[in-house]
Amino acid sequence: MLKDKVLHLRRDGGCWETGWGRLRRPGGGYTQTSEGVGGVDVGMGRLRRPVGGLAIQNRGYTIPILGIILLAFLLSACSGPFSSSSPAPTSTKTTSSGLPAFPTTALALRTPAFGTSGQVAPTVKVLASADPSLIVQFSLAPASIKTLFPDATGLVTVIQGNPQTNDFDTLIVDVQKMPPNVKFTVFLTELSAKPFGHAEYVGDVITRGDGSGESIFHLITFVAFAADARNSTVTSADQSGDASGIQLEHVGMWFDGVSFARKVLNNPNIPGTPFDGGGGALHAGPQAMTDGQTLSVI
Amino acid sequence: MQLLRKISLSGSLLLALLLITTMWVSVTAAAASPAKTSTFQTVRQISASHTTNSNADLLHRLVHAGRLAPTVHVLDSLPPTTIVQFPLVPSSIKKAFPQATGLVTIVRGDRDNAFSDTITVDVQNMPPNITFTIFYIEFASKPFGNVEYVADLTTRGDGSGETIFQNIAFVAFAMDARNPGTSQDGQEGTTSGINLEHMGMWFSQLQDAQKVLNDDTLKGTIFDGGNPPLHAGPQAMTDGQTAPVF
Repeated sequence: MLKDKVLHLRRDGGCWETGWGRLRRPGGGYTQTSEGVGGVDVGMGRLRRPVGGLAIQNRGYTIPILGIILLAFLLSACSGPFSSSSPAPTSTKTTSSGLPAFPTTALALRTPAFGTSGQVAPTVKVLASADPSLIVQFSLAPASIKTLFPDATGLVTVIQGNPQTNDFDTLIVDVQKMPPNVKFTVFLTELSAKPFGHAEYVGDVITRGDGSGESIFHLITFVAFAADARNSTVTSADQSGDASGIQLEHVGMWFDGVSFARKVLNNPNIPGTPFDGGGGALHAGPQAMTDGQTLSVI
Repeated sequence: MQLLRKISLSGSLLLALLLITTMWVSVTAAAASPAKTSTFQTVRQISASHTTNSNADLLHRLVHAGRLAPTVHVLDSLPPTTIVQFPLVPSSIKKAFPQATGLVTIVRGDRDNAFSDTITVDVQNMPPNITFTIFYIEFASKPFGNVEYVADLTTRGDGSGETIFQNIAFVAFAMDARNPGTSQDGQEGTTSGINLEHMGMWFSQLQDAQKVLNDDTLKGTIFDGGNPPLHAGPQAMTDGQTAPVF
């Protein structure tokens, strides 16, 4: 009987079932009834009246109509989102009650170890995160731009998905209230303040018109180091213990061009620095933002 | 009864009409995308044929002049992008894995506005299930000189592997800001610091190298970060060039 569910369309594997019952309204809508072989009643509910209703009893018309309707539904189903050209919905495991066996509670969080006391700067926040991730955040403060942009702020987020297996870290630099429309370079450095020591150029941040900006880099961050392989005996202390090379455990931002710095800071005497790659030695400007810490931040 | 027949006929006609309309709309929608793509391709082809990529042209000239390695392919990309490709070849693993190959692709969007470059390293026929470190280096072979650790690549069971990372590649350099010095960059001229214009891959663990290469006498190297010092193995892959590859 096709009384309660008007039409069932089941596709292999998809267990897709369409029933119009939920759309039906009492006494209205579209209904089909089947009575015996070849006996089909089609009633337009809203048009039916208790007496002298508009029931169809003619086989000559009802069979082709039913055929067309079925064909229409079949074709509609074929051109729907689960057609052969689209990937079939993936099956999900279900519980005995038929509900998907997805987690119903949040992952437990823990705060992983990151260095030892007295080794990591007090500005570093190690976020409570789900195992095995490690997420560290710390702020950047204005350096040369402090007088003119005292409210400039920076937030650095470093993420390791799984410290045991990750190919690189994700380094996100967000800044606010910086000089607008200026390009800054981002370096990992040995020291946060002059003379900065060894440095590694990792990327750029270009501020928007409102002084905000964001850049995301994928590179080795937590165990970044500088080394000259000709002198392999040089070691330094990392959060993980002694390691090869000179650890780069600070983050700073520099004006990409000294000419921009001179203009923004209204000082034509600012000397060039090496904190940008590419043509023209010492064409970069002064440090704009720094983590400002003596102890390491990464 | 006549009314009933009319309703029945009208209903079936209406349904048939709906069916035809639905099919027509589907066919039209499906046909629209290729047509648009085709139009865009035509426009792009026309644009490409009338647009020169000055940076790519410069790199082509540098390759011809020998200031970039002959193994470097400068792709015919649309401006302002710059795309170069070069191979990596086996070094310490050459005897045990002579078929090992590597392909490096470096993409820069716009020289003046890109935040970073995108580097893709693909390898095949390497020692399986081993983690290798990737470094930018001053020299392609020993003594390697100044180095920068940029990423890892762990091979799959079939010896293939891929890693994609984003940092500064084309103008990578090493420096001690206390005495940065200068060096000559093929593309940029005189630059601060020491340019890192080669790439290599190292065994991240000496023990892996000793096992894979069946050689217990191999010595540790600096080519991995973290504790302890000299825990990395020998160079596995190199660009093998004297002239810069990027």
